[in-house]
Amino acid sequence: MQRYLMRRLVTAVPTIFGITVLIFVAMRVLPGDPIAMISSEGQGQYILSPQELADARASLGLDKPLPQQYASWMSDVAHGNLGHSFWNKEPISATVSRRGMISLEIAVLAAIFSWFIGIPAGILSATRRNSWLDNIVRLFMTLGLAIPSFWIGLSAVLFLVLVFTWRPPLTIVQLWEDPAKNLQMVIGPALAIGIGLAATLARMTRSATLEVMHEDYVRTARAKGLGERLVVSRHVLRNALLPVVTTSGAAIGGLIGGAVATETAFGVPGLGNYLVQALNQRDWMVIQNLVLIYGLVFVVVNLLVDLSYAWIDPRIRY
Amino acid sequence: MDEHTRALFEGLQNGKLSRRQFVQRLTALGFAGSTISLFLAACGGSESAPTSAVAQPTVKLATSNLIPTPAPIATQPPPAATVAAPATNVSASGAPSAPAASAATTASASASAANDAGILKSPDPNPKRGGTVTFAFGVTSAAGYDIQQGAAVSVLCHLYNNLIRLNLVDGLKTIVPDVAQKWDMAPDGLTYTFTLRSGVQFHDGSPLSSADVVATYNRMIFPPMGIVSLLKDRFPFVAKIEAVDPLAVKFTLSQPSGIFLLLLSQMEMAIYSKKTLDANNNDLRKVLVAPGTGPFMFKSYKESEVWTFVKNPNYWNKDLPYVDALQFIHVPAWSDRGTAVLTGQADLSWNVSKETWDEGVKRPDTIKTNRIANFGAYQVYINTKVKPFDDPRVRRAMNLALNKQGLITAYGTQEQIEVTRWVPHGGEFATPPDKLTTLPGYRADKTQDIADAKKLLADAGFPNGIPGVELLAAAGPQAEVLAPAIQDQLKRSLNIDVKIRVEERSLLIVDEKAGKFTLVLDTSSDPIADFSPLGNIYFKTGASQNFGGYSNPKFDDLMKQSDSEIDRTKRRALLDQIQDLLDQDPPWLFLGFTDHLPMWRTYVKGTALEKRAFQEWGRLETVWLDK
Repeated sequence: MQRYLMRRLVTAVPTIFGITVLIFVAMRVLPGDPIAMISSEGQGQYILSPQELADARASLGLDKPLPQQYASWMSDVAHGNLGHSFWNKEPISATVSRRGMISLEIAVLAAIFSWFIGIPAGILSATRRNSWLDNIVRLFMTLGLAIPSFWIGLSAVLFLVLVFTWRPPLTIVQLWEDPAKNLQMVIGPALAIGIGLAATLARMTRSATLEVMHEDYVRTARAKGLGERLVVSRHVLRNALLPVVTTSGAAIGGLIGGAVATETAFGVPGLGNYLVQALNQRDWMVIQNLVLIYGLVFVVVNLLVDLSYAWIDPRIRY
Repeated sequence: MDEHTRALFEGLQNGKLSRRQFVQRLTALGFAGSTISLFLAACGGSESAPTSAVAQPTVKLATSNLIPTPAPIATQPPPAATVAAPATNVSASGAPSAPAASAATTASASASAANDAGILKSPDPNPKRGGTVTFAFGVTSAAGYDIQQGAAVSVLCHLYNNLIRLNLVDGLKTIVPDVAQKWDMAPDGLTYTFTLRSGVQFHDGSPLSSADVVATYNRMIFPPMGIVSLLKDRFPFVAKIEAVDPLAVKFTLSQPSGIFLLLLSQMEMAIYSKKTLDANNNDLRKVLVAPGTGPFMFKSYKESEVWTFVKNPNYWNKDLPYVDALQFIHVPAWSDRGTAVLTGQADLSWNVSKETWDEGVKRPDTIKTNRIANFGAYQVYINTKVKPFDDPRVRRAMNLALNKQGLITAYGTQEQIEVTRWVPHGGEFATPPDKLTTLPGYRADKTQDIADAKKLLADAGFPNGIPGVELLAAAGPQAEVLAPAIQDQLKRSLNIDVKIRVEERSLLIVDEKAGKFTLVLDTSSDPIADFSPLGNIYFKTGASQNFGGYSNPKFDDLMKQSDSEIDRTKRRALLDQIQDLLDQDPPWLFLGFTDHLPMWRTYVKGTALEKRAFQEWGRLETVWLDK
């Protein structure tokens, strides 16, 4: 197990390196000048002179050769320093930690919702295949997959504003500062995302359960005289969980990176909003670091998912 | 003002009419009692009190500008005999006529502080003290915290004072003193001397002096090496700034300017302390927050989240501010700003989405709204160096054929555009709506305009339209909604075959600067309610943002005359000529200036937002909460 872990960590290094090189190069190759964006050039009354442009670039370290800029960035990251946004002077790490907590909460809550809704629904649907219950569950699965979470978010906010004159808080309140207000902020996006994710999990669980239910060991369990509930919980569910865990892991990784559209719909200032803002502003430093963080999160989550296989299925050994 | 009303004013002033006759005739003309009272007040004190020699020019200024609604820049310059500090007409020209200004400033010398027009107080009666006002809008501070280098002026302005400012209390219709208690303009319009209030302190306790003002404006207008001043180009006519004594500052101009005072009244003109500027080598971008003399003091800031300011207990206007604190929450989306106000998470937002604004209009018990002229504009830049757009007839034909009302309706879900001419619609010299709707190219009925446009195009050698014209537009609503509507109209009316090319917003400026376009749909903005910055930046030959290479020597000459003209009547005539010229030889396909949709809770008082002539996301120290 330790050797497997080490091997995975070692193979993660070139993955992360590749991500950093790609995003670094992409930012510099793609058109759009951050200096022009910062000075609102062309949308106001001002055009920067070539000298002013050069000075502004130098102040952000953009006048150095690209390898030097990359090395400087990597050196800072290695020292735990994510640098500063081009647009403001607050350290990126401070913004990420504050906003990241909100996105993490939304991701975890959404995953929990999806498990509580999707897995039982999938099992029910599989064990009562072609019944009216199965049909209803499948109808909701289709709806959950078809309706984007941001639409659910927009509709929810609209409904709350028009009917109850209430909307989720717009400023960040951390869990430890005011749990009730924090919950008001994250519950909406978590539910909106959770519904869609639950539909995916329900479909996944249903098909995996149906497959496992025809396995010999399930037939044997039934032949032993075990009740259906025990057969499902002990023999079917555990074996059907592998694809579910894989899907959840990938989803959580993506959600921590920011459920951009849903966060925007609810006006939640999470990481997704931060990334969109940075992209619009061509804030390369923020984009680079956020993409690096997302890459790390995916690598770690994937590793955890792989490790969890051994716990779920004893036949898997590393 | 119509001829009848003007004649009445003149009659009153030259003694041909008594005050009673004046009132009777105005009443007959349909003026409200309150308006008539205002007119009488502006025309002098009691009937028996003769108007002083110095007051008369101010009276003339008043009467010529006390325009009944909807005139957006109607002014309320109080009679010099009763008012300490001057209240100058905001007119788009910005500068009063020389005798009026000097009269006003002369009068101020002998006035008491109680009559100081710069000592603002709530326009709503019985202000209550205490509480926190929460604003919702985009409050991130780009490029640091230096107001004059691009920081969030709408937020930071509350920490500072200007020399002079637009009058918050009368809806921004006059210019009143801020920390300059009075000012004198030389008769030739080439020097302005500002006398500072005594006893004004920065938040760090140091006194305000002329050295601070000189350091601030020198840095802004003559930036030292390494400092990027976004504002210097607004003051090409300022030659020198110097301290006369510890409480007096003199600005010397190279030519008279019709907009100098208006420019100085903008919120970016905040005064920093010389000590802070020196200590930071003139660069305050990383200084959170440089001390000011303003009504509020900095308390805290969470980047891209919230600013909190608290009341300045030592503010020079002893009665202000009424509230204990201001909070500015960062809400980037217009719809979220609207829902924030609707649900009480915020008390006020400067501009909300149309749908939330409409919802606010339905809730008059809790929500107040207004629609206010703004100086942002939508236009299509035309590359006048590319054939056939080098021919004014082609450009005029396109302007005539464009159904602006239709485009504005199509874009109404995104932003509120008004049918306007070239002078900003909040400014004094804008063409009145009733006249505008009769003008070719602006009227709703397009029948004659399209016929004329087809003839112009035929005369230019394109009787069958123009093929293969590229229209560049920024990705998003402009490319998805507005550009196709323009494309459709030009095709239908003139058979001009437009192909849309969508580009990232950040790339538009690159292509514009390089002149790599035929038509570009874009936005522009004017910093003040006057045409001068717009004309000088976008239309003058060789101007910094004259991307289309437009050049008309007659326009350049008229601009020069207009910029240095401080007589408002003459300036109006010049601007009318400029607008006529631009209609005939248009540099752009001009769609119009925009409006903003502010929304606030009914308990927010003291802002006079309901009577604003135009929008300014500025200082609100007279705000109070009626709850």
